[in-house]
Amino acid sequence: MSDDAATTEAPPAAGGGPEPGAEGAPRRTVAARLTGALGSGLAQLLLVLIALFWLVPTLGLFVSSLRTPADNASSGWWTALLEPAQLTLENYARLLDNAVFTGSFLNTILITVPSTLLIVVIAALAAYAFAWLEFPGRDWLFLGVVALLVVPLQVALVPIAQLYGGLGIYGSIAGVVLFHVGFGLPFAIFLLRNFFAAIPRDLLEAARMDGGKEFTIFRRVILPLGGPAIASLTIFQFLWVWNDLLVALVFADAANQPMTKALQAEMRQFGANIDIISSGAFISMLVPLVVFFAFQRYFVQGVMAGAVK
Amino acid sequence: MAEHRKRARGAAAAAAAGLLAVAGCAPGGGEGPAGGGDLAGVQLKVAAKWTGVEQDNFEEVLAGFEEQTGATVSYEPTGEDTGAYLGPKIEAGEPPDVALLPQPGLLAEYAEQDALVPLEGDAAAALEENYTDYWRELGSVDGEAYGILLKAAHKSIVWYRPDAFEAAGVQPPSTWDDMVGTTASTLSDSGTVPFAMCGASGWTLTDWFENVYLSHAGPEKYDRLTAHEIPWTDDSVVQTLETLADVWGEKDFMAGGTDGAVQTDFPTCVSQVYGQQDAAMVFEADFVAANAAEAGAAVGEDALAFPFPAVGEEPPVVVGGDIAVAMSENEGTQELLAYLASPEAQSTWAGLGGYLSANSQVESSAYADEFTQELAQTILDAGENVRYDMSDQVPSRFGATEGRGMWSILQDFLRDPGDPEATAEDLEAAAKEAS
Amino acid sequence: MADTPQPPPGAAQGAPPGAEDEERAGTLGPPRWLSLVFLLPALLFLGAYMVYPILFSVYRSLWDAAGTQFVWFDNYAEMFTSPGTFIALRNNAVWVVVAPIVVTVAGLIFAVLTERIRWATAFKLVVFMPMAVSFLASGVIFRLVYEQDPERGLANAVITTVQDTVSPAGAYPDARPREEGDLPALPGGGYRAPGEVSAGQGVAIGLVGVAPDDLPGDAAPAAEPRPGGPDAITGTVWLDFTPGGGGEEGAVDPEEKGLPGMEVRLVSGGEVRATARTAPDGSFAFEDVGSGAHTVQLSERNFTPPYAGVTWLGPTLVTPAIIGAYLWVWAGFAMVLIAAGLAAIPRDALEAARVDGATEWQVFRRVTVPLLSPVLMVVFVTLMIYVLKIFDLVFVIAPGSVQADANVLALEMWRVAFGINDQGLGSALAVFLLVLVIPAMVFQIRRFRREGS
Repeated sequence: MSDDAATTEAPPAAGGGPEPGAEGAPRRTVAARLTGALGSGLAQLLLVLIALFWLVPTLGLFVSSLRTPADNASSGWWTALLEPAQLTLENYARLLDNAVFTGSFLNTILITVPSTLLIVVIAALAAYAFAWLEFPGRDWLFLGVVALLVVPLQVALVPIAQLYGGLGIYGSIAGVVLFHVGFGLPFAIFLLRNFFAAIPRDLLEAARMDGGKEFTIFRRVILPLGGPAIASLTIFQFLWVWNDLLVALVFADAANQPMTKALQAEMRQFGANIDIISSGAFISMLVPLVVFFAFQRYFVQGVMAGAVK
Repeated sequence: MAEHRKRARGAAAAAAAGLLAVAGCAPGGGEGPAGGGDLAGVQLKVAAKWTGVEQDNFEEVLAGFEEQTGATVSYEPTGEDTGAYLGPKIEAGEPPDVALLPQPGLLAEYAEQDALVPLEGDAAAALEENYTDYWRELGSVDGEAYGILLKAAHKSIVWYRPDAFEAAGVQPPSTWDDMVGTTASTLSDSGTVPFAMCGASGWTLTDWFENVYLSHAGPEKYDRLTAHEIPWTDDSVVQTLETLADVWGEKDFMAGGTDGAVQTDFPTCVSQVYGQQDAAMVFEADFVAANAAEAGAAVGEDALAFPFPAVGEEPPVVVGGDIAVAMSENEGTQELLAYLASPEAQSTWAGLGGYLSANSQVESSAYADEFTQELAQTILDAGENVRYDMSDQVPSRFGATEGRGMWSILQDFLRDPGDPEATAEDLEAAAKEAS
Repeated sequence: MADTPQPPPGAAQGAPPGAEDEERAGTLGPPRWLSLVFLLPALLFLGAYMVYPILFSVYRSLWDAAGTQFVWFDNYAEMFTSPGTFIALRNNAVWVVVAPIVVTVAGLIFAVLTERIRWATAFKLVVFMPMAVSFLASGVIFRLVYEQDPERGLANAVITTVQDTVSPAGAYPDARPREEGDLPALPGGGYRAPGEVSAGQGVAIGLVGVAPDDLPGDAAPAAEPRPGGPDAITGTVWLDFTPGGGGEEGAVDPEEKGLPGMEVRLVSGGEVRATARTAPDGSFAFEDVGSGAHTVQLSERNFTPPYAGVTWLGPTLVTPAIIGAYLWVWAGFAMVLIAAGLAAIPRDALEAARVDGATEWQVFRRVTVPLLSPVLMVVFVTLMIYVLKIFDLVFVIAPGSVQADANVLALEMWRVAFGINDQGLGSALAVFLLVLVIPAMVFQIRRFRREGS
């Protein structure tokens, strides 16, 4: 585009100047720079608008959570920007007083932390076996793991519900945790195995030569070298489980429900419960946002590794 | 502080229960609930959809049982969608001992799946003694009694804002024609939108339909339609839909016009009347009182109600409510149901407020306030002509599921009430599919 | 590849699994049983949570709701014939076709735009941020955006503000004659006083439907309409409703107020002769009207209703609206992957094309996009897999009254299996979802084998 503009600019200059060739070139660049700057200015403006499109709705949730239900019912959140006096922490105060919600916050942690740890540990072990141990059918088995990457979890809801019933863990936190582990594993193994496989063979051979036991090698060599991948996986899984709604909807009962499920129950009466919903949703976002901004590099890598999951 | 208050209230209720137990035993002939710590150590689970104050009150009633028997009863809220809560639990073989089902339709489904235990012993006797035939049949499947209508909701009242009526110079109407004629148009002339609709909550629309249908076609046809013995394409259905269009087809009669009517959920519609004062009337059950109070109205002063006006000869009395069923054979389950069915337990609850009983042994004087006493009286007076909410009796996938059957078809009809016949055909098709 | 974390320095890229197996076996390799120890926990989980459920779901889908009767493929037949499921199927098709394209294109545009921008990192962070929060929270955010009432919903607030600047709302959108036909309606909106008037006459125009609170602050008790001078036409436009009822219809009663600021037109022979505005008491006057018959009209501008905005969450727009929210969540993912792909394109290829005289657009179309196509494909397929399983956003954003219209397979599966407790049909739906992802599974395996070898 900038080239087009530059060439149309050129002829009059070429016609008027005594040395067209010599003068044409710098003029072209000036024109190109001009249109380039213009284009980049336009692009900047567009990007600012796009960024606003991403930020403003989130801001809307935040501001709404700071307004009383009556204010929310009668006017838009943006009016609060003109009258900041109407902002209040009342919704949050009431939310923290609400045993159902505080309990669900605790449940979210009780579900998320063990799920993440179990996935990482189990997947790291398996990934090591897939990358560096010998056993018959290894490649086929790993191909199976790759195939399982895309299995929709819907397929397990009914069977696992029945299984849990038989085991007596239906509705419990343990049931939810185990389900997350089961469905988190293929991706976790896939990610770690690819990473472990890229560790230089010499390092391992050297460790084995020294007579290291496999578990020692795993702990002393693989885990430290695998740090970045494990960090990515940990953060990715943490947020995945933290944000889950469907598994909780099916497998967690009222006493063990995480925040997502507790908030969803309020959605039926969205208009009337906007105070709980907005403040609750915002609190549920806080941890992911902190994790995201603190470890964004690892998180982005984790998400990207999840491409074609 | 809160702890202290709760305990104090609990003590008062227990005292009241004691008094009532003495008074209530006379007609029952000494068939009171099992007494005296013989269930010590037994643990029971009860699940219902109540939360907040409703839950507190119910737990106080349960505390009475714990005191009498020594059993421990734990309460679990099911959330709004009882079916979605119980379904997986049944599937997993871990249902609560007693569940409060919001629909007899659900009761029939579970009975078919063998997920329910029939009432026996004291529980069966309590049902026999305290409830009329209609209610007994409601909780029965194939002649076997499973459920007790524990908490009733009066669904035939229209709530209004007296100051809006005053400003327009109108009185509460007694016939449908008055309501949609003079009352609505005068309100509209005065600049107040007559109705707030709760169309996003499909069940409120089924309640509209049922009231008009019951009054228009009579109880006998109501039962036949409920049982799907007459098709939904019956003239009476089409006429009912046409009648509904008197309101649903007038976008000036509904707050926010047609779009607003379909998109407003319950209880936002209540706050449209009592909070924002955008409309003058909202039709829904007695439990609107709680939402009206939440929206800032003083119930009995700023928030009043009139009986659903007569479309045909008689005004309708439609009742909804929660039915207690046994879902396990664990010890104490039947005793708990017997206790809940007793006039003593229910009178205790009546005294706590926010409760309406279908038990014929519960006197209207047991209720804390005049308004509830009147409501209770209309149910007792209507006697054999009271009907239970139809949408809750039909299979739940037709009558009580988000995005399906009656809910979504009536929502479509509210969106465009142009073709009652086609709507009736849709209803018939959905009813057939669900049966 | 851009989509895996960077291996440690000195790592041999993609060390082949099994390339040198024979050589290693038996020498230094640990005993085989040890592999099982490492693998066992994972295999147990995969077996219990994935393999067994797949088999059981297939089996269960051939039985009826209660699981007592073998019904062959009835559940699958019902899936394709029942209207409820059919809408879910149709919507899923729309989702799968539209959403991945929209998101990939947006990601491509963002990635290209940010290439030469200094604050690209900040921009990417902002756009990527929704990936970190739950669909529930995103759903709540967009439920607020899509609220119908322009007073509350951001999208409609913006649209109506623009629209109302173009054609402002009238002062009396609710005002109307008491009975339809009391005042004949004008073709373009507005009303006309019945009959014709000539100089020396007075006109009374009573309207209703305005709440006392909505009257302008300066509204005064309505003036009795009486004839003006011999050359004038006068009249009153007033609110013909006595607060509290009573009052005579069509007559100015003591408690009734004028409607100030109403635009009144005098028309004769099809042309507007004069325009006046009513006073606080609702009176207006046209002087020197000359002889002949006129009509008095209230212009349509008085009654223009404020633009109500778009019904985002109505039956027709709900799916596109939710796709909009989906774009908001996923665009960052597409952008980051594509940006990484862009960065990996060799500069030489672009320069060579430019030297050959290609325009930037041509370079983009002929060089950049083809070189990016593997990345675009990965983004696209990934999005398709996620879109197939879309659940939370629809469940959270669509209000109850349009959930049927917004339905998708995963939502229907949950409803059927756990709402109405038909585990047979629910299993059939789950199996169907599984079948739909098989092409992606094949794609995935092929990609893996290609990269692995």
